[in-house]
Amino acid sequence: MDDAAGGRLMVGTRPVRRLTEPAVVRWLLTGLALGFLGLFLLLPLAVVFAEALRNGLGAYLDSVREPDAIAALKLTLLAAAFAVPANLVFGVAAGWAIAKFRFPGRTLLTTLIDLPFAVSPVISGMVFVLLFGRQGLLGPWVAEHDMRIVFAVPGIVLATVFVSFPFVAREVIPVMEAAGTQEEEAARVLGASGFQTFFRVTLPNIKWGVLYGAILCNARAMGEFGAVSVVSGKIRGETNTLPLHVEILYNEYMFQAAFAVASLLTLLAVVTLIVKTILERRMHGGH
Amino acid sequence: MGIEVRHLTKSFGSFVALRDVSVTVHSGELVALLGPSGSGKTTLLRVIAGLETPDVGTVLFDGDDATRRDPRDRGVGFVFQHYALFRHMSVFENVAFGLRVRPRDQRPAEDDIKHRVHELLELVQLDYLGDRYPSQLSGGQRQRVALARALAVEPTVLLLDEPFGALDAKVRQELRRWLRRLHQEIHLTSVFVTHDQEEALELANRVVVMNEGKIEQDAAPGEVIERPATPFVSNFLGNVNLFHGRVQVEVHDEAGRPMPMELDGERSEAVRVIVGDRVYVRPRATGTP
Repeated sequence: MDDAAGGRLMVGTRPVRRLTEPAVVRWLLTGLALGFLGLFLLLPLAVVFAEALRNGLGAYLDSVREPDAIAALKLTLLAAAFAVPANLVFGVAAGWAIAKFRFPGRTLLTTLIDLPFAVSPVISGMVFVLLFGRQGLLGPWVAEHDMRIVFAVPGIVLATVFVSFPFVAREVIPVMEAAGTQEEEAARVLGASGFQTFFRVTLPNIKWGVLYGAILCNARAMGEFGAVSVVSGKIRGETNTLPLHVEILYNEYMFQAAFAVASLLTLLAVVTLIVKTILERRMHGGH
Repeated sequence: MGIEVRHLTKSFGSFVALRDVSVTVHSGELVALLGPSGSGKTTLLRVIAGLETPDVGTVLFDGDDATRRDPRDRGVGFVFQHYALFRHMSVFENVAFGLRVRPRDQRPAEDDIKHRVHELLELVQLDYLGDRYPSQLSGGQRQRVALARALAVEPTVLLLDEPFGALDAKVRQELRRWLRRLHQEIHLTSVFVTHDQEEALELANRVVVMNEGKIEQDAAPGEVIERPATPFVSNFLGNVNLFHGRVQVEVHDEAGRPMPMELDGERSEAVRVIVGDRVYVRPRATGTP
């Protein structure tokens, strides 16, 4: 409507020059994009909640409050609680080394950081089984010290840390490289110590990148299926994470319960996305 | 403070940035390191600041060996080519940084910091911009904030890397004049790097011409022009004389008589250096302009 009015105003003075496509094309393209978005993103999301609530709110709450579901939720949060801080520290350290220094093996380190992205999650899980399993390389040592890693919580945490490993480093490296080293040099000349330089100059410059990486890392840690599935052993109430629990319920034809638990994961994802959007806005708006 | 640099050699991989460079900067001097890019002038400045460690050679501050001294203990103020302001801090906090990171027993009280920062911002005529962030400033303003920040720690030496390189011509002129005035006021030993002959000749007490990691000539500005020590110096400074043909001026001596003006300027009564669209005229007998 606005365009049409604007167009008519122009007629009197000079020939109308169209700067936009005809309305049909615009509507068609917009419709197509929205349709695609609806079909592939919104519809599945809606289905999750519709199926979860199919037997009413009571049934939904029952499936969510069921002990195995609670245990799975706790384990998922526990794995994320290990993965995020560990990868935060590692990611910032690795990013700092790669972006600010030139040293032999730098390219190798950059490649290694991407390894968890390149390798299929199932194989990542297998690696831990082959390392710490009974027949594994470190298996005897693990047994000797009376520890359980594979098919136990430590294995799940390890696998989660591994697959969510690159996110922080990946986010931080470009930000740090763009920032260069001049501000750090300026800080040093002005008398700042290494710690002061890091906490007062380096970290504030990359803080949004770090937070953004942490959010992506968290999303992956909570949603990981493949690697965790291999190391978990799927003992209900003990080594089941939320994604694994959903699969088990689904395989047992408990669709409503499966979707109810899936809705928990979905909600976690939605919260993550909201935080991410807020951060992005601040990243581009702030200083 | 006087700086003495002895037999410095520094290479980066196969690239030799400095080859056996020795130079002395006397207390209170304003020295220009002039040369094309890749001549080693910035490396020399960074070695003096302690941001690079030389492979061979020593750096003496007032006679004391400071070659391995940490940059934070050298008492130098460094103005970076692209200012390197802390982008997440306000102008005020940028200038205050050097005071805030001091060890607790040497750190001034908050009121003193405030007072000192305002004083410095007044000096660079930017007191009204204290709350702004670097991204909100123009190039010339950023440059002056960088200068105020460097001066905040009361350095005994001021080092400037291409201080006016990234500014447009008019602002450059203004800042240059301003810097010279500042130097006349506070007599801080200063070394600045430039590839701009005009800048070096106009500002410095002494010009050190560098090329391929070596010092080609180390002399007063007039000397460098009148008696270039090497073909490189005459070539590097001579380039500017190509502008001769475009300039239309009549040159008079002090008594107002027109003076002959030869384009090559070699054997006339006056030596002319024409840089850009300006003409420097200097009788041969008296030394400096």
